[in-house]
Amino acid sequence: MFLDNYGFLMVAIIQQALLGMSLWYPLMAGQLSLASIGFYSMGGYIAAIMGTSPLFAAWRETLGPALYPVEWLIAMLASVLLGLLVGIPALRLRGIYLALATIAFVQVLNVVVLVLDVTGGAVGLFGIPQPFEKRIAYLWFFGPLLIVMLLFSWRLTRTVAGRSFMAIREDELAAQAMGISTTYEKVRAFVIGCGLAGVVGAMSAPFLNTWNARQSSFDASVACLAYVLIGGARSIWGPLLGAILLVALPEVLRPLKDARLIMNGIVLVVACIYLPQGIAGLLASLRRKASGVA
Amino acid sequence: MNIVSILQNILNGLSIGSVYAIFALGYTLVFSILGIINFAHGAVFTLGAYCTYALAVGDFGLNGLLAGTSLPFSLPFPLALLGGSVMAGFVGVLVERLAFRPLRAKGADPLLALVSSLGVALILVNCLQFLVGAEIYSFPSGIFGSLPMAMIFKMDGKILAVRTVQLIILCVSLVMLLALAWFMNRTRMGKALQATAENPETASLLGINVDRYILSTFFISGALGGLAGTLIGASFGLAGPYFGVSYGLKGLAVIVLGGLGSIPGAVLGGLVIGLGEAFLPPDYSSMKEAVAFVMLFVILLARPQGLLGQQTIQKV
Amino acid sequence: MRIFVVLAASLFFAQTAFAEPVGSPIPVGIAVGQTTNVALFGEEQVNGAKVAEKMINEKGGVNGTPIKLVFQDTGGDEAGAINAFQNLISRDKVVAIIGPTLSQQAFAANPIANQAKVPVVGPSNTAKGVAQIGEYVSRISAPMTLVAPNALKRALAINPNVKNVAVVYAQDDAFNVSETGIFQEAIKDQGLNIAMVQKTSVKDTDFTTQVTAILGANVDMVVMSCLAADGGNMVKQLRQFGYEGLIVGGNGFNSPNMYPVCGKECTGVIVAQAYSPKADNAENNAFVPVFKEMFKKDPAQFSAQAYTSVKVVVDALSEVEKNSGKKVAEMDTAELRTALNAAIISSTYETPLGEIVLDADGEITQKTFYVSQIKIADDGKTGAMELLPE
Repeated sequence: MFLDNYGFLMVAIIQQALLGMSLWYPLMAGQLSLASIGFYSMGGYIAAIMGTSPLFAAWRETLGPALYPVEWLIAMLASVLLGLLVGIPALRLRGIYLALATIAFVQVLNVVVLVLDVTGGAVGLFGIPQPFEKRIAYLWFFGPLLIVMLLFSWRLTRTVAGRSFMAIREDELAAQAMGISTTYEKVRAFVIGCGLAGVVGAMSAPFLNTWNARQSSFDASVACLAYVLIGGARSIWGPLLGAILLVALPEVLRPLKDARLIMNGIVLVVACIYLPQGIAGLLASLRRKASGVA
Repeated sequence: MNIVSILQNILNGLSIGSVYAIFALGYTLVFSILGIINFAHGAVFTLGAYCTYALAVGDFGLNGLLAGTSLPFSLPFPLALLGGSVMAGFVGVLVERLAFRPLRAKGADPLLALVSSLGVALILVNCLQFLVGAEIYSFPSGIFGSLPMAMIFKMDGKILAVRTVQLIILCVSLVMLLALAWFMNRTRMGKALQATAENPETASLLGINVDRYILSTFFISGALGGLAGTLIGASFGLAGPYFGVSYGLKGLAVIVLGGLGSIPGAVLGGLVIGLGEAFLPPDYSSMKEAVAFVMLFVILLARPQGLLGQQTIQKV
Repeated sequence: MRIFVVLAASLFFAQTAFAEPVGSPIPVGIAVGQTTNVALFGEEQVNGAKVAEKMINEKGGVNGTPIKLVFQDTGGDEAGAINAFQNLISRDKVVAIIGPTLSQQAFAANPIANQAKVPVVGPSNTAKGVAQIGEYVSRISAPMTLVAPNALKRALAINPNVKNVAVVYAQDDAFNVSETGIFQEAIKDQGLNIAMVQKTSVKDTDFTTQVTAILGANVDMVVMSCLAADGGNMVKQLRQFGYEGLIVGGNGFNSPNMYPVCGKECTGVIVAQAYSPKADNAENNAFVPVFKEMFKKDPAQFSAQAYTSVKVVVDALSEVEKNSGKKVAEMDTAELRTALNAAIISSTYETPLGEIVLDADGEITQKTFYVSQIKIADDGKTGAMELLPE
């Protein structure tokens, strides 16, 4: 019963955590990007079109269930390519400019998909083929991806690439002086995020049953950023912790009815003020206290 | 395209563009002093419009806590506009107190201010819906007294149409911009604000109470946002508690286009985007929302400092 | 680690359904958008549903067993709709769900209910394909194929000299795009000339360019498929700039939200309606006074459709009692849901919308549509839609 009721929510938490992670990589290199949701939307459209359009009927027939990984792969490649196209010029800019450029990118993308026929216009695409019956079973999609990405993040913090990212975050000029090609590294961090967001989108189209332009709203972009910042931008667990709190919150607050979004806002503000290092930071300091180091 | 329709587009563009400019100035002032974008500005815009509505009309509709009630008084529109803007100014101050000051006091990551200001926006907008519901409100047509609703000029057999509310918007915006220019350049307080924006530490060494000036900036910013909200509301109606969101995003495009932190830049950016939207052929009307962002993207690639911004190398 | 084992296990073993009686009062789920910008419609739906609950229970509910509406907010997005549906299905154990507000949300959430074998009645989903999502999905909101030609005929009765027509539609709204197609066919069938077609956006509010183009083309009728906020603004601007000809609006105009937007400039606009508070049928004559008493104004179409949805579910519940000879409150929830769905589809209902028929697909056929003309009171704030005579 519990799983019936909260199965969707549990998988949604992991799905949103992965989206948060796609912002975490550029942020690791000090770059604030709000583009993830755009690549998520594009990945979703790729999966939705391949799942429903008569153009791909032959593919669906021959590939069978293998269609899903193919969708992920195509979504990833498309996202990486578009990510390079957007990222290379935009990442020459510093500070808040990248955030604004990525907001603009998402807005333009939204208008484009509303006008196109292949994306179903205002209604979007629906009747997307389902690999699983129960929502909770989508854990087989998102769960392994989460584990792989967590391992990847963990490795990354220990490799030269990851250290270069962090050097740029701490001091871009100094990193440049040390011989790090900052633009190259920033693009790399950005594109990892884009590819991930594209795959998550492709997995999400069947998960949500339908896909439309409202998937990439500005609110959704900011929600992803909030997962990372409130979870803890400096820990690989940050996006997951943030998503657990913020995705579950509106559901936990359901009994409040009309007032639940007010409460949600209050939690956001309070978390920003009292958890500047995020939940991960809080947990780390608790652990230090417990082990008597502090 | 004939001369009359060009004139028509210029008029439409300047009128809406001047509101964008006023609204975007609110972002710019805060950005210039704190280096942060206040994402609650769109919510302040909405609240300003509703405050003016409450003062000028004061009837609340079918839904929400205030359903069916009405205020015992109603002010003439110019007074209500003033009152609504002042109230929006105080909302701006509230935003500063709730979302920005606690973070500043702790020296937290400036990115967090982005999330906390959005949190405050969420609170404001949903409180508004809680009180007055999600339905559409609008100012009655007699609000500008005996002025005609619109004027028609015939030129070479073509029609030039001017809504009175467009002219009012243009005039109010112009007066507001001049007043702001005078305030920033001619008064002690304005100069102190500029000094604080230039360099907060030096300013505080010079004996300027930085905290007070930050508060004043948020007040002015909020009042500008509320004024813009009212002007849009007077022209097109108040389409629910969320109607400020798309203006909030468009305002971002305006300030980047003009140059982050540049006051003349915000004005120029507003007008350019207003004109750009007006000259979009009517058949492409559904692309209108994209105009501002395409411009933003192009300017970032061609001239990242914006039309009037200065090239600076900042350490982030 | 243990949690993963539990999760994995639950993926393989289908959940055993325990027999549970429905209980009294009978829970009926309402999942509409009560927050975010969908609340504009959701609030009206909640009001209509509440009136239905009150009226039905005052008349003794389902043969003496009262019903209880369980409200779950869907917000404006797809995930919210799915969460609301899940809550209603497995926690609140409702016998049927009425909702969601948007067609896009229906495409996301209805398959969930369909899989769980819970009947869904769509109060406001007009997109093509909603009723075909599954056997447990039906809807009571009709596409506007019949009313558009009628509205044109009534307009021509008012002014038989109409020759040139301008067509306006919001091209980023699916309902309006399909409606304008029907309008344009009908205009041609009437032998009128379409002088121009103007596309707009539902997000747009400034129509000076479109209006001047229409004024320049010397048309004597404007036919619009827009929603209340954008359409109302365009009507207002047309009138302010001195357009004096007829204005015919589609079903998007059938909302009290028109009145505040265009004020006294709305007067005279002809509206094609799926519902009119002035409709003269027994159900509507009972519904409107109660609604007016509770909310001090005429019910909107969204309210009437929400009321109708509740009524459809309750009528079907009575039908189940009659056929099975068992009290529904004592039936097992899963058993009742299936029986209820069978009763909902392939049936005829008397509702405030007039007589409606749901076919085996759950698709609606509505017998009566209405054509009204907007009249705004002298205070310029309140208005009403007066039915035009046949």
